Amino acid sequence: MKLNKIILSFISALAILFSTSVVSLAKVVGDKIVLGAAISLTGKYSSNGVHTQNGYNMAVDRINSMGGVKVGGKTYKFDIIYYDDESNPKRAAQLAERLISQDGVEFMLGPYSSGLTKAIAPVTEKYGVPMVEANGASRSLFTKGYKYLFAVLAPANLYLDVAIDLAVEKNNGKGVTVAMAFEQDAFSQDVRLGVLDAIKRTGSKKVIDDKLPKELNDMAATLVKVKQMKPDVLVVSGHTKGALTAIRQISEMKVDVPMLAMTHCDAAKLSKQHGKNSQYALCASQWHKTLTYKDKFFKDGMTYDADFTKEFGYAPPYQAAESSAALLVFKDAFERANSFDQKKVRDALAATNMQTFYGNIKFAEGGQNVDKPMVLFQVMCDDAGKCENKVVAPTKWASAKLIHPIPSWSKR
Amino acid sequence: MSISKNNLILYVGILIFGIAAPFLFPAFKVQLSILCVLIVLATTWNIQGGEMGYNSFGNILFYGLGMYLCASVQVGMFFPLAEWTESGGEKTFVHTPAQFFQGMAVGLVVAAVVPTIVAGLIGYSILGLRGHYFAICTLGLGVAAGEISGGIEIIGAGQGFTTPPFPDVGSLDSRGEFFYFLSFFVLVLTFIAVRGIYSTRFKLILNAIRDNEDKAEAMGIETMKYKIVGWMISAFFCGLAGGIMGGLVGYIDSTDVAFDGREMGVFMVLMAILGGKGTLWGPIIGATVFHIFKEGFWTFFLGWQYVALGVLIVVIVIYFPEGIMGWLREKYPERFGEIVDEKDRKAQVELK
Repeated sequence: MKLNKIILSFISALAILFSTSVVSLAKVVGDKIVLGAAISLTGKYSSNGVHTQNGYNMAVDRINSMGGVKVGGKTYKFDIIYYDDESNPKRAAQLAERLISQDGVEFMLGPYSSGLTKAIAPVTEKYGVPMVEANGASRSLFTKGYKYLFAVLAPANLYLDVAIDLAVEKNNGKGVTVAMAFEQDAFSQDVRLGVLDAIKRTGSKKVIDDKLPKELNDMAATLVKVKQMKPDVLVVSGHTKGALTAIRQISEMKVDVPMLAMTHCDAAKLSKQHGKNSQYALCASQWHKTLTYKDKFFKDGMTYDADFTKEFGYAPPYQAAESSAALLVFKDAFERANSFDQKKVRDALAATNMQTFYGNIKFAEGGQNVDKPMVLFQVMCDDAGKCENKVVAPTKWASAKLIHPIPSWSKR
Repeated sequence: MSISKNNLILYVGILIFGIAAPFLFPAFKVQLSILCVLIVLATTWNIQGGEMGYNSFGNILFYGLGMYLCASVQVGMFFPLAEWTESGGEKTFVHTPAQFFQGMAVGLVVAAVVPTIVAGLIGYSILGLRGHYFAICTLGLGVAAGEISGGIEIIGAGQGFTTPPFPDVGSLDSRGEFFYFLSFFVLVLTFIAVRGIYSTRFKLILNAIRDNEDKAEAMGIETMKYKIVGWMISAFFCGLAGGIMGGLVGYIDSTDVAFDGREMGVFMVLMAILGGKGTLWGPIIGATVFHIFKEGFWTFFLGWQYVALGVLIVVIVIYFPEGIMGWLREKYPERFGEIVDEKDRKAQVELK
């Protein structure tokens, strides 16, 4: 049968294609330290993926232009190989494998979101590739016994429990009623667990506990319930889309609730996109430009904010700031290890104890950063409709007083 | 089933290539494993979409089911599943190598058998639908399964399910080799089974259903029975493929990895059509070409890969509407064992 010939020649063509496309880059080429990263450039996390990438690029440029990394008496520069993981964990795991086994990357930067980090961590762990990640906050990442995973951010369960504490405090120490709406994804569900802990601790009561779909474009059903039940606090978390959807529909449906606690307000550019409608929203953040941390590369939060805005045309959300911090951590670890041996770098990372413009960084046994508390900011607008995020908790950094309860829509 | 000498050479050649592949291209083990899984999915989809004329978007259901089942069994056999998937859980469980492989083996059996039974049950109720109605209904199945599994706490719900990490045996490459050979084995198994049924009356009945179901019924064929059995066969191999893929990816997410209808569910249809549906080799060639293009686009058109893929699909639909196999068949009919009577063909052209 002649058909066989076609198939055989097809297979040999395939074999040739495969063998010619093997390109192996060493992790340190000449004076370059090549880091690998799978980033969500498309898909549901694409906006935050871009924040992450901008954060990485910003730090790479800054470190390179300020002398690079000194290892063994030689100066090296950072370089990053990016791939697009399409916000898909399956793809992310594949790309991690590809970065390590095909591109020869020996050090990795994290992707955006907990789910994707969860998919990549088993791969980096298997190959013993140190990964500093800045956007995977789910607690379960830090209880799997991973040795090569380091997160510069505080775990997800700490995001909004402070908000519940605040509400209880305003309620004279008595428990409050809480309505919760969380996207069905690793990060948001972990935020939910943190809120549940806080509810239990403060003797509060949950009245609504909704799970929202991943492509979060509508949460009207939850809001109708909120209107009926009149809870003291409404907690919403669902990445950028969740924040935008919540504000859009709360203002459309004129839902009155004394406290609205959310995540991802700055990544969603809420105050810019929804202006006064987003006023009074209380948001969990890993970082805020007014915090007083310092380092020699970015100086402080305000300078970082100005430089970033100049370079990328928008104010940096904390996702960008923490991503920049990840590179500072890598640089510090390389110089202390004074070697490119993965094990030595890993040990140096584990011993990290430093301050960056983004906050203090010190890793616990599980790899999470334990030296940097979360902050809560509230969107506050002036009469002209110009809105700003102001830190309201913890009191050490508060630049404004919490406005509580939120005035009803009829009085706004 | 008889195998001609030429075919035997071909099969042995492919088998040797398949076994040697991970050693020839050690850096591509994961891609090769995924290729095997893709071929299995495309080939089994072809039983419905190509041979039977039922465009099923529901095969992803069996794939996802297999994935969750395999991982759950693998964990559940040795540790409490609820504690494994619990996010805030403080305990760390580690599989010994023996536990890992034992769990995987049992898990794969369950991952194959349960979807088969499910296919039988669902098939009984929905295979009476035809055409668009069947397609829409099966599309719903996959979406519903994703949403439902995303709410079941014991398998991790929205948090996802981290599958047991590969134990420390052999070298760094052993994980890749293990999953590659596992998926290659399933591929061979699928090929043998599909080739087997394509050489029997079963295939003719499926074709009869595709060409005119009412007539087939009038001829005394119990079409329902054959449709269900056909779907069960697909479900068996889809479940196996899912089980392997779960272990390979290492993390199961309800809608993005397991019941991934908008990627895997669409890809399996696309690959079969690209290669030429209704043929044995079409889906295999289609899956291979598709995978290579996709990986290539990912490397060279970062951020634009789906645009490039979209253009490819448009080109295929316009220039190769019958798929690669269909195009080859038209171009070189004699190579497919078809005898073309030039005189007759000309006469027909003149008549027109």
